Amino acid sequence: MIKFLSSWLIESYPRLPAQQIFLSSCYHGLVDYQKIEDWQKLKELKNLLDLANPPKQLYFQGNWNREIFKNCVAVVGSRKMTDYGERVVEKIIPRLINQNQTVVSGFMYGVDQYAHRVCVDSGGKTIAVLGWGIDKKLTSLDAKLAKDIVDSGGLLLSEWESQEGTLWTFPLRNRIVAALCDEVIVVEAAENSGSLITARAAARLKKTVWAVPGPITSKTSRGTNRLIAEAKAKMWLGEDSMQLSLSPNIDPLLQILENEALTADELARKLKTAVSEIGAKLSLLLISGQIMEKGGKYYLTDAS
Amino acid sequence: MLVKLRSIANLGLETVAVDVEVDVAALGFPGFTIVGLPSKAVEEARERVKTAIVNSKMDFPAKKITVNLAPADLPKDGAAYDLPIALGVLLGSGQLELPDDMDLNKSFFYGELSLDGSLRPTKGILLLGLFAQKVGGANIFVPQASAPEAGVVAGIKVIPVETLHQLVKYLTGQEKLNPLLHAPVKNAYDEQLVEFDLLEIAGQEQAKRALIIAASGGHNLLMWGPPGTGKTMLSRALPGILPPLSPAEALEVTRIYSVAGLLSPGQALVAARPFRSPHHGISAAGMIGGGSNPLPGEVSLAHLGVLFLDEMPEFPRSLIESLRQPMEDGVVEIVRVAGHVRYPASFTLIAAINPCPCGYLGHPRRECKCSDKQIAKYRHRLSGPILDRIDLFVNVSVVETDKLSITGSYQGQKISSREAKNQVIGARQIQKMRFKKENRSLYTNSQMKNSDVKKYGYLTSEAENLLKLAADRFDFSARSYFRLVKVARTIADLSSSEPILPAHMAEALQYRQII
Repeated sequence: MIKFLSSWLIESYPRLPAQQIFLSSCYHGLVDYQKIEDWQKLKELKNLLDLANPPKQLYFQGNWNREIFKNCVAVVGSRKMTDYGERVVEKIIPRLINQNQTVVSGFMYGVDQYAHRVCVDSGGKTIAVLGWGIDKKLTSLDAKLAKDIVDSGGLLLSEWESQEGTLWTFPLRNRIVAALCDEVIVVEAAENSGSLITARAAARLKKTVWAVPGPITSKTSRGTNRLIAEAKAKMWLGEDSMQLSLSPNIDPLLQILENEALTADELARKLKTAVSEIGAKLSLLLISGQIMEKGGKYYLTDAS
Repeated sequence: MLVKLRSIANLGLETVAVDVEVDVAALGFPGFTIVGLPSKAVEEARERVKTAIVNSKMDFPAKKITVNLAPADLPKDGAAYDLPIALGVLLGSGQLELPDDMDLNKSFFYGELSLDGSLRPTKGILLLGLFAQKVGGANIFVPQASAPEAGVVAGIKVIPVETLHQLVKYLTGQEKLNPLLHAPVKNAYDEQLVEFDLLEIAGQEQAKRALIIAASGGHNLLMWGPPGTGKTMLSRALPGILPPLSPAEALEVTRIYSVAGLLSPGQALVAARPFRSPHHGISAAGMIGGGSNPLPGEVSLAHLGVLFLDEMPEFPRSLIESLRQPMEDGVVEIVRVAGHVRYPASFTLIAAINPCPCGYLGHPRRECKCSDKQIAKYRHRLSGPILDRIDLFVNVSVVETDKLSITGSYQGQKISSREAKNQVIGARQIQKMRFKKENRSLYTNSQMKNSDVKKYGYLTSEAENLLKLAADRFDFSARSYFRLVKVARTIADLSSSEPILPAHMAEALQYRQII
């Protein structure tokens, strides 16, 4: 009898923690996360072994698909994204998807999240490396993005199970972002932005680092401009910048918009036309998809 | 002796006849009682009446005086019963005899007494005049300072009274009082002092155009942009381009202001279209109307005019939501202890918002310090149903400093408030002719129901195709579809075009919902 009891205890005891994990993920109402057993043995993750301090464990959420670890490009940047940064992300991501590349980023608001968002919305695959534990409950917008990433076949990745996002977790996250991908594109970065850490880590791993040049007056482009100036990164230029000028726009309105984005008021002034007339014209161009509007300014839609 | 005089009570904009019955008893312990649900202000009439009579060199009788304000179950408020009570006491105590030819049934007494026996300006005189008009051939005795309010009403005799003593002398035939001459509501419009002329505002051509469209069609407008770009300034310029009130409208507005006691002494009419801009600290009662005897709130004070909400997301969300019903129905219903009150509240809403809490989202030079969550939370304060009721959205962007300088070479299209106003008046005239046949209060394009839009839209087929294309591209709801036609209708009216041309529709698309 005693023997039977003790064997029952030994048998049932190890099950308890597993049950707890199951219960807690149910409580969060999220997709179950899983631990990657012996990630060191997985071929698709061998890049991580190049790190001086590779992660001990790895957890993920989503459907494991080794294909998405091929051709990874990191698109990272400042938390404080400007209009310009938004435009750049919108320009870069579709091209990467077109080249069948996976977008990797850090799931922080600003450039990172916008890169994930644009990627998911344009039907691409994306890997989000979290700067906190995988079991953290996300709030409304973050939770929605996380769900969309998983639903579109992407992954959420973290080296911690339970860990709050703090000052030291984000740089650690950055080294994984850098290791996972072949190229890093820094969209916007202030002088001491975390994305510069990613760039440094990528350079150490001998990956190609790109930086998007920005206005020298913008604080959030100071970091990227410096990367270029100090030859630590290649300057990223839209490849189709040549193509656009090949097909000249006949409409004077489009000609003006080729050079800079303007508001309706500014266009009316430049063309010396009534703003009501310009407004009507802009609506028509918007509908035909030749231009787009953001924050009151009008841009030419990219030829690609 | 028992004396019965007539007066009125205003419950909201509704007027009820009140009989002021004063009994000065021959027997009984001296005292002075007022019954008939008097409020504190009416109760205190005892002290005012007593002192005013004594200071008018007459005697206050040391007898048992009972005053009943009938109907006894209707709550009475205000100091307007001072005059009939004082007169009742004088008549009841035999100090005053009325001339034989005076018909007390057709005489109304209304006014607050001062301790020295003079009459103070009293609110609600216009409503008294309108009520007396229905009685026919009535005389109304009112304080001189407020008498002009009633002067606009035809068919009544308004006798302005300065002091109680003067009224007594008039009633005994010792002094003549000239009735106020009837001053019909003029079509002419008093030139209004406007803070800003459109000419003074640099740039912002599109916002100015949106203001003109809003003023022409009575469309609700939302301006959004960083701080300091002129949203508030633009809205302050709006009163200068609003069309004048028609006589009927002026009377409608004045009634509300008369009840609220907002007419200055001697003012006969509210001649200018109301422009109200409450601060965001306002209470729900202040916005919608309220109080135990409900007074009109800002929405009613903005009736037929403009309600401007600066920094709209700073207003409590519940308060913004409470605007939905008046925006839809044009009236606001308030239920309080004193009863059920309806005030008209047909206003044009002009709102100004920043793009984010710090205000600099999308600013060309300054950096926005808000997180995505903060921005989402800020925008969330404006609910879909409210945004759905706004016809025009316009972005008020940053003006480059070189355009601000007085000597700068900036040569944009300029329009003065006067020119803009003429355009607005023209467009309103077209709308008036169009809706003439409709037998309801339909004045502007924005008030059109969906059935009216189909009836009066006159969309050319090209314009309709354009709208369908746009609906596909921008994902319109059915409501925004009709809203766009209404705006396009106003734009067509501004260019005196009978059908809505594609150009009008295309311009209307510029002001579609952007947040």
